[in-house]
Amino acid sequence: MSEEAPRQDLVRRRSLADAWWSLVAIAVAMLFFFPIYWAVSTSLRRPADTFTVSGVGIPWVHFTPTLDNWLLEMSQPESFRAFTNSTVISLSAVTIALLLGLPAAYALARFKFFRVPNKDITVWFLSQRVLPPVATAVPFFIAFSTLELLDTRLALIVCTATFILPFVVVIVRQTFFDLPIELEEAALVDGASYLSAFLRVAVPLAMPAIAAAALIMFAFSWNEYLFAVILTIKGAATMPVHIAGGADTRGVQFWFVAVRSLIAMIPPVLLALLAQRYIVRGLTLGAVKG
Amino acid sequence: MIRWTSRVKFLFLLPAVLWVLTFTIFPLGYSIYLSFHNVERQVVVSGREQVPVLDAAGNPVLRPDGKPRTRTEVQRELQTTFTWNQFANYARAFRDEQVWNAVRVTGTFVLVGVTTQILLGLALAWLFNRNIVARGFLRSIMILPIFATPIAIGYLFFTIFYEVGGPLSWTGVPWLSNPNWALTSVIIVDIWQWTPFCFLVFLAALQGIPDEMLESARLDTSSEWDLWRYVILPMLLPVIAIVLLLRLAEALKLFDIVATLTKGGPGIATQSYTYYAFNVGFKLNDFGYASAMAFLLLIVVMVIVTLFFRRLRQSYE
Repeated sequence: MSEEAPRQDLVRRRSLADAWWSLVAIAVAMLFFFPIYWAVSTSLRRPADTFTVSGVGIPWVHFTPTLDNWLLEMSQPESFRAFTNSTVISLSAVTIALLLGLPAAYALARFKFFRVPNKDITVWFLSQRVLPPVATAVPFFIAFSTLELLDTRLALIVCTATFILPFVVVIVRQTFFDLPIELEEAALVDGASYLSAFLRVAVPLAMPAIAAAALIMFAFSWNEYLFAVILTIKGAATMPVHIAGGADTRGVQFWFVAVRSLIAMIPPVLLALLAQRYIVRGLTLGAVKG
Repeated sequence: MIRWTSRVKFLFLLPAVLWVLTFTIFPLGYSIYLSFHNVERQVVVSGREQVPVLDAAGNPVLRPDGKPRTRTEVQRELQTTFTWNQFANYARAFRDEQVWNAVRVTGTFVLVGVTTQILLGLALAWLFNRNIVARGFLRSIMILPIFATPIAIGYLFFTIFYEVGGPLSWTGVPWLSNPNWALTSVIIVDIWQWTPFCFLVFLAALQGIPDEMLESARLDTSSEWDLWRYVILPMLLPVIAIVLLLRLAEALKLFDIVATLTKGGPGIATQSYTYYAFNVGFKLNDFGYASAMAFLLLIVVMVIVTLFFRRLRQSYE
């Protein structure tokens, strides 16, 4: 007993320390959450309350919340159009990236390439991500203006699909690689073609990773701004372009900024939360498995 | 035995390769071509034509003498001319004080921002690796900034840094009106958005270290600091290198936050390299010069990637 006592003491002291560190962690999380909270709070205030709110602007405590800003913003056709554009463009880009990227990921995971080794091809795909977009922006602008495709969804879909393609290649390549190869080989022995081994065996098994890759790619397409602002004017303007345009022409009206920012942020953030398990792998381009 | 060397492999791989080649190599090549040219875009008159004047109903308006009234219609065309000017665009970039200012702004942003993100990320990973309450929930909250639309974030922080009546106005700090503080504010936003990324990756790496290894290391030392210094940090080093590479490559492209939070201002105090190149290209329509600037940035990024290349390649064994 006498020997046990100090040890137990140590255990208790550690959990007390962890209680303190828990408080620190909660404080940190609150700090990181504050800007989003502030947007919610601002969006619920009457314009007159924007600067006069006391404290940290807790609804019902510091001011009477109203949904007017939300309703007004949502009744504007431009907002609706931007939201639709963003959705259509992101979905199409993700679809193209999946159609092209899944077979490539499979090829890199399963087949052996000799002239250029597999990992060099993988790294080559990744290098798209480090390319400064401004270096390809001018040629894209000139090309699409010559083709008279400026301010069309198609132009943006093509650009976006290109820059999200590496995500699907690296995220799903690793998943294909981790699948037991015997399943596909059994299918091949039974006379299946490589294509049906890929479509009927590998793809269904890799579905969670594919879905996660799609969600992450959707979020990135949604958030893209530089190409969107260059290639679209009005008709095909995406949410980020819509937010920036509104603030530039009317001055910064904080209550609308808050509503629009939240409308823009909610889809990618929610999707990312759904894909949590794959975020580390996705964001490090497959270099860290997580 | 199945041969995984069949030629079918090219059918799987080639569509993606061709797509990427078409949409990156072609634009890059064109960009290099442009960078050696003086590109002028102007609207020129390409023709004049007499057209009858119509009234509201679409009938020609007649003059008193019975002939249809006509007006002159001028046809305009956007003409782009390319003039080879050797290295003039590049020489101009090295003489351009705004370029050097942009290099200073971007350099400060990258050095201070990325360093802080990695150190804070490590600290937070250490914190969250402890036995704290509601770890999963708190971790989820930390993910939110990473995927928040940067344009929205820029405007959102504009309302937060607002100096009259904003939530930080009690500090009395000239967040956006003072040149140095404006750059600090841009860096703070980036730290807010990307520290969680460093944190998440480090936490994942930390939790991937086998427990037995830590237990046996604990037998040798009782100091938490020594454990980190001699065991954990060396094991995290490859991951830190990858995060550093990704953050450097990403931070050098700084555009969205500057375009919304400060518009490069006050003056040109927060005009980042990409923002300046963008303005030269798409506000001043000087495509040649913008391409040269973009290409110089590409060279810098490539040097950085090459430095890390061996490390990156190893991760895909």
